[in-house]
Amino acid sequence: MKRLLHIIYLSAALLAVASSCHELPDYDNDRRGNFDALWSILDQHYCFFAEKDVDWDDVYSRYSPRVSDRMSAEELFNLCAEMLDELQDGHVNLSAPFNTSYYRKWWSDYPQNYDERLVQQHYFNFNYRSTGAIDYGILEQNVGYMRYPSFEYGIGEGNLDAVLNYVATCDGLIIDVRDNGGGNLTNVETLVARFITRRTLVGYISHKTGPGHDQFSEPRAFHYNPAAGGHLLWGKPVVVLTNRSTYSAANNFVSIMKLLPQVYIVGATTGGGSGMPFSSELPCGWAVRFSACSVLDATGASTEAGVDPTDGCAVDLDPIAALSGRDTMLDRAIDLLTSL
Amino acid sequence: MKTLLLLLSLITLSAVPRVSASAVDSVRPLRPVAAAYTFEVGSAHLADTYISPLKYDGWSAAFRYERMQAMKFDPDRWIMRLSASVEVDRTQNPARNAVMWMGSIDASWGMLRRWRLPWSLTLAAGGSTGVNLGCLYNDRNGNNPASAKAAWTVNATAMAAWNVTLGRLPVTLRYQPTVPLTGVFFSPDYGELYYEIYLGDDSGLAHCAWWGNYFAMENLLTADLRFGGTSLRLGYRNYILSTKVNYITTRVVTHAFVIGLSGEWLSLNPRHPFNRDARVISALY
Repeated sequence: MKRLLHIIYLSAALLAVASSCHELPDYDNDRRGNFDALWSILDQHYCFFAEKDVDWDDVYSRYSPRVSDRMSAEELFNLCAEMLDELQDGHVNLSAPFNTSYYRKWWSDYPQNYDERLVQQHYFNFNYRSTGAIDYGILEQNVGYMRYPSFEYGIGEGNLDAVLNYVATCDGLIIDVRDNGGGNLTNVETLVARFITRRTLVGYISHKTGPGHDQFSEPRAFHYNPAAGGHLLWGKPVVVLTNRSTYSAANNFVSIMKLLPQVYIVGATTGGGSGMPFSSELPCGWAVRFSACSVLDATGASTEAGVDPTDGCAVDLDPIAALSGRDTMLDRAIDLLTSL
Repeated sequence: MKTLLLLLSLITLSAVPRVSASAVDSVRPLRPVAAAYTFEVGSAHLADTYISPLKYDGWSAAFRYERMQAMKFDPDRWIMRLSASVEVDRTQNPARNAVMWMGSIDASWGMLRRWRLPWSLTLAAGGSTGVNLGCLYNDRNGNNPASAKAAWTVNATAMAAWNVTLGRLPVTLRYQPTVPLTGVFFSPDYGELYYEIYLGDDSGLAHCAWWGNYFAMENLLTADLRFGGTSLRLGYRNYILSTKVNYITTRVVTHAFVIGLSGEWLSLNPRHPFNRDARVISALY
């Protein structure tokens, strides 16, 4: 009987130890608890502290004393948003029912360099074609043009076949991803697959392996395959038109295309946003989004700060020329393709 | 006709005479299947730090099939238990502005050594093995909306059953705990994207389970109210899963009321009519 009791006691102790090992975070749903939860979530998951040289502990020491139980929800939100702005990351947002914070300086400090109507009106006289999310047509210099406004929109293989078939006789193709704020990497793969002819190294991914600021996996290469199944591939010269608002998945698209042999990046440095964002939340229900997983280009370099145009291809949209119906970035792309 | 002969005929045990254990051993005993179909409805408490640091609460619903039978090789001492279930949980965060779902399927098979004790009491202990596949899904997360669950475990299980009567109604009360001892389970790395797995990064996804990183326990209490050949099963099921691997903690706790039908059934081959002197060895009753 004594032995049985010992076994029961031992089992109970093991159960207690086993369950206590798996502690869950516990934050109070008050001003302090929500602030600490936000700081801790970023502290444990954000992936660019070292790259951006941000001392997150120092950030805590500067912002934490400003937290007060007497502050309103709006005041707490503004304080949290201000703290998140220290990261200078367009993928970092705090969402409350009354507001969503954005760090906007990654694009607001730069010229916009894009006017959609300028292209639609003065280059196509509004006579362009559309398939899926893609607007396309042939410019008078026999250069194909396609505009893809967001990688959020899925691309059908049939859509791409229609576009590439239509511009098949052109001397080159312009892919306009200005103001493309990103979306799904699977759409990047679908589009890139039309411009490669063999399995191609397109980048590396490194994720966090723990809550420490330096805990990362070894960058792992990932490859794309060319489109299969008889779909059309494009082997002629390509210009990818970019501006500062080319961001996130679009930034990734540009970083991949830039390293392909027949491709030129024309325009302005992209906005970056190479960190794949994760989501989390605070006890009060506010949602937070942050860069959690770094995507590197095929050379192993970070593109968080953006992708520069090909050497000699940096150009801004001249607002004076725009008044007379000229998109100087598009004109540069046309000149480049017609001069090859 | 031959095909017809091969068909199994099902009859309820009420038509089969029970013979004491002292019956002739040369007659092969009959081993009825104790089968139960139950619905489970209750509360669910979910947490998965890959998705959110917060604990979610809500409801749980499940359908379960359970089958028990005395083993052929030593029916008096050994019984088998098969269990399969489908479960759906819907929970909300403390602020009630986000929803996390969990769906899972579960199947296990085990054998137990049993001891018939006085006062209609039966104790049993043994092992089982099972698989659990599931997924937690939070509808407002972007690149980390889901946390997939997959585990194969080797479990310790036990049973205590007590046959009593309420008035003239036979009732079987049972307690059945099950605890995984070891196994293999799936988990992504701390900040790993499922997109990376899609791209082919399958390293480090399988983990050897032990109580330090994978603890689960099922406690099942049932009362079978035996109305003739069919019983009404009422009960309570509690399930706890707590895992921590790659700094990701997952917690699933459900409390559920159990209701369903159970009964004992015999599969007989018409080509081999049963012997009316055969002993009936029940796995549960």
